[in-house]
Amino acid sequence: MTPQDMDRILAQAAERGAPKNIDPAAIGRAKASLPGSLAPVRPMGSALAFVSVLVAVFAAVAVCGAVAFGIHGFPVLSAIRRAVIFPVVFSGACVAAIASIREMRPAGGRRMGPLALAVATLTPLAAFAGLFRDYNFQNFVPEGVKCLLAGLVCAIPAAILIFLILRRGFILDYRAAGLATGTLAGLAGIGMLELHCPILKAPHILFWHVAVVWVSGLGGWLAGWIAETAKRK
Amino acid sequence: MAAYQQGDRDAAEALIERASPQLHRFFMAQVVSRRYADDLLQETWLRIHQARHTYRPGEPVLPWIYAIARHTRVDSYRKVRRTEVREQQVDVLPEAFTPARSHSGPDLESLLRTLPESQREVIVMLKVSEMTLEEVARATSSSVGSVKQKAHRAYQKLRQVLLDMGFGAAAARMD
Repeated sequence: MTPQDMDRILAQAAERGAPKNIDPAAIGRAKASLPGSLAPVRPMGSALAFVSVLVAVFAAVAVCGAVAFGIHGFPVLSAIRRAVIFPVVFSGACVAAIASIREMRPAGGRRMGPLALAVATLTPLAAFAGLFRDYNFQNFVPEGVKCLLAGLVCAIPAAILIFLILRRGFILDYRAAGLATGTLAGLAGIGMLELHCPILKAPHILFWHVAVVWVSGLGGWLAGWIAETAKRK
Repeated sequence: MAAYQQGDRDAAEALIERASPQLHRFFMAQVVSRRYADDLLQETWLRIHQARHTYRPGEPVLPWIYAIARHTRVDSYRKVRRTEVREQQVDVLPEAFTPARSHSGPDLESLLRTLPESQREVIVMLKVSEMTLEEVARATSSSVGSVKQKAHRAYQKLRQVLLDMGFGAAAARMD
């Protein structure tokens, strides 16, 4: 049986199946559901403009957070480390911003929330693994928890700001939007930690700094799941 | 759609008039009753109205409408399932739509029932709504490659089902 045969059988089956004629009353009800006077709306701006706004939010929150906590990390980083870490985090933020914007409008493009989370965690991990060689586990948990909490304190306002921007569109899948938003917010947390944290131990940075993105991304997904469940109820 | 965004009621009604039959067939082909399809259609237009500012003039309108329609269907399906789990049936359910049976070939409903949800959706968009691969990819937030793969797998499965039903010989005779 060739694909052409299949096409023919499917077309015939479709003809035999659901009736082609829709009940005019259903169209009438759809028309009647429109409000009496339609207010004109301004079409949403370009995706590039929104991506720029989200990246600006990411950068602003990271810098403001670092200023609030104190910029102790940036001065102790070598020029090579600065030249690698910040572009890597920035690139991850761009990918996460694109993923977030795609969730903002129907048919906005291929879904890439999981890809953004992977890029946002794996590329900094690779960069940190290459740049930091001091595998000292002293004070691993007490120092790490402080950094994780500081990163999340920074990620929460970033997530709120990003979500307020996304709400200007029409989110269809809150879980996917939450994952992308959480990832971008987590990157704001990492950005802040790289400016703030003076600890240069590899395990600390590889685990606790990157954990901010994981926790934030998964937290965003969970918040989206809760929002979607509440919406359906 | 651009005129609808500008507040033109006639344009909105013309869009509803034009796209509703296709959307209705999309819902009907996915094993639902006529009344359920009517409700989904109305809910879809309500959402389209709420989301009309997100349409960008110049872009194809069909994938944008279908992206909203498929989410409306999925949301409604999950809501119904949740309700079904909690509720106990005390009355006779309204009769579901059953297409006229014919001995000349299988009906689409029974063919589609053999497919997983994601493949069924792709086949309905391609074969019932007659959308292009690119349009289906946009509507489902996936890539053209992924749509092709789902359609290919669906065809493989449908071919087997049709052969089991004895349609292989009929197709050979048609040639």
